[in-house]
Amino acid sequence: MIKRKKRSREDWIMDSVIFILSIIVLLITIYPFYYIFILSFNEGLDASRGGIYWWPRKFTLENYQKFLNDAKWIRGFFMSLLRTVAGTLTGVLFTTLVSYGLSFRNLVGRKWYMVLVIVCMYFSGGIIPYYMVLKTLHLIDTFWVYIVPGAMNLFFVTVGMSFFDGIPPSLRESAKIDGAGELRIFSNIILPISKPFLATLALFVGVGHWNNWYDSAFFIRSKELRTLSYLMIEVINTNQETGNKTAAAFQSASTTSLSVQLTAMVISVVPIMCVYPFLQKYFVGGMMIGAVKE
Amino acid sequence: MDKHGKLYQLKKQLPLQMFVWAGIAYLLIFHVIPMFGIIIGFKDYNITSGIKGIFTSEWVGLKYFKEFITDYKFPNLLRNTVGISVLKLIFSFPVPIMFAVMLHEMRGKKFKRVVQTCSYLPHFISWVIIAGLSFQMFSSTGVVNTALGLLPGFKEPIRFLTQENLYWGVAVFLDVWKETGWWAIVFLAAISGIGRDLYEAAEIDGAGRMQRIWNITLPCIKGTIVIVLIMTMGNLFGGGLGGSNFEQSYLLGNDVNKSASEIIQTYTFEVGLKNGRYSYATAVGLIQSMVSLILIFISNFVSKKISGAGLF
Repeated sequence: MIKRKKRSREDWIMDSVIFILSIIVLLITIYPFYYIFILSFNEGLDASRGGIYWWPRKFTLENYQKFLNDAKWIRGFFMSLLRTVAGTLTGVLFTTLVSYGLSFRNLVGRKWYMVLVIVCMYFSGGIIPYYMVLKTLHLIDTFWVYIVPGAMNLFFVTVGMSFFDGIPPSLRESAKIDGAGELRIFSNIILPISKPFLATLALFVGVGHWNNWYDSAFFIRSKELRTLSYLMIEVINTNQETGNKTAAAFQSASTTSLSVQLTAMVISVVPIMCVYPFLQKYFVGGMMIGAVKE
Repeated sequence: MDKHGKLYQLKKQLPLQMFVWAGIAYLLIFHVIPMFGIIIGFKDYNITSGIKGIFTSEWVGLKYFKEFITDYKFPNLLRNTVGISVLKLIFSFPVPIMFAVMLHEMRGKKFKRVVQTCSYLPHFISWVIIAGLSFQMFSSTGVVNTALGLLPGFKEPIRFLTQENLYWGVAVFLDVWKETGWWAIVFLAAISGIGRDLYEAAEIDGAGRMQRIWNITLPCIKGTIVIVLIMTMGNLFGGGLGGSNFEQSYLLGNDVNKSASEIIQTYTFEVGLKNGRYSYATAVGLIQSMVSLILIFISNFVSKKISGAGLF
């Protein structure tokens, strides 16, 4: 061990400033989530009086009961869950396959494929022609509009290309000598060693699906297909318009429209909070491949 | 058959080629066809005529482009789109660099990890939730106003979200709040690649910590800074790295702050999908796409000249 050098005056000042700043960062990042968390466990009518900052004043589980007993919310929750699971599986598989194929430098026509990828990455026809394509394919107002149009993530195609490019060719060669076909090589050799990339991709695609609201807002008309995010927008907008007090007056029980909205927000945030810290070691690396590629 | 011929190669690569073709087919359907759909911006297109109508409808040239530029809303839309984007560039871009430097200077390893892990939580949270949170935090009886009320001389609660002249500030603040921790990852990784010997040598020469940050840390991550800057510039009108302009404007905008929050993107949605003016909306969208494309090329060119690094 090296003996620690004496800290100078500048060190003391810097360390104190950094410490205070990081406490502030922690506070403004975490507190808003903590705040809706405690409000979701407080009686709604009581919460509308304000003054709750650190602990629930009148503890209750009624907001959660109300959420769980409302068919609309339950349906929205399961719709979000379904699209997230289905969308992540398709998205990860499709994006990985394409970027794996493109990662071969000797691929015939690779130059042209790349031109197309880059053009599509930086230029789009805009929302109206896109909408018309979805309409022509009869995707509007069906569940498939959640899954099909976003099945390939262009950014991650390029990230995947540099990832697969780094895999030593000898691994493939030896499998090929043993007589394995491309699909076998891909599923038995490439996929198992691509965990960091797959985990990063899955996290991104999954979070993207869970959070997505605009396809449900613009491409869906049926009530049964609405996702949790869209239902929250609806409730947030009504609560903004009517304001706290009016919303409370309409409710017979002690829950209010706002307290149920906050509960829905907590329910939507908790899965993300539970997942992302565990994938941290993967996506920190994954981000680097994408950002600092030569 | 010639062993090095293209056809032979193609046959050998067939399974791989098929993976790629699936992706290319996808791109053609969901990206390239919409690009050709742009021509309806130059035509009098009616939705009832379906896809066929794209080709059969009458050419009107730049009629809809002129209509947009002479629209009474145009100056305001332009002001909001450019204003919010430039403010985000000024604030959302440097803050992650400063945050990364700060994390690097932190001594307690465990505490540093806790701060970093928490700092990128907001990146994974949707704008829907953040809109809901901000309505809650920034309301006139909310936490922010209560905290401000503790200050001496603070009289009336500030209406952050129902006042047009505060919308830009709130939008930029929320963008910084959401994305700082995330983009700090990139800079922090670049910083951790700097050799320890540089710092040690500087320390022996008597450089203080601020001097070390200024003369070693920042110059060593210049390349990363430039690359991230081009990426930000490329999506300037989308709202920088996070691309948050549309979602913010749509979810935080209301009738009261509309004159400050309405941007070209939300306007395209409104006239296109809500009012059904497809040709007009396509023309408006095209103007924005063209400007963005030009920005990408300029920043890519400049970056290649300065640092030799570019996106393509």
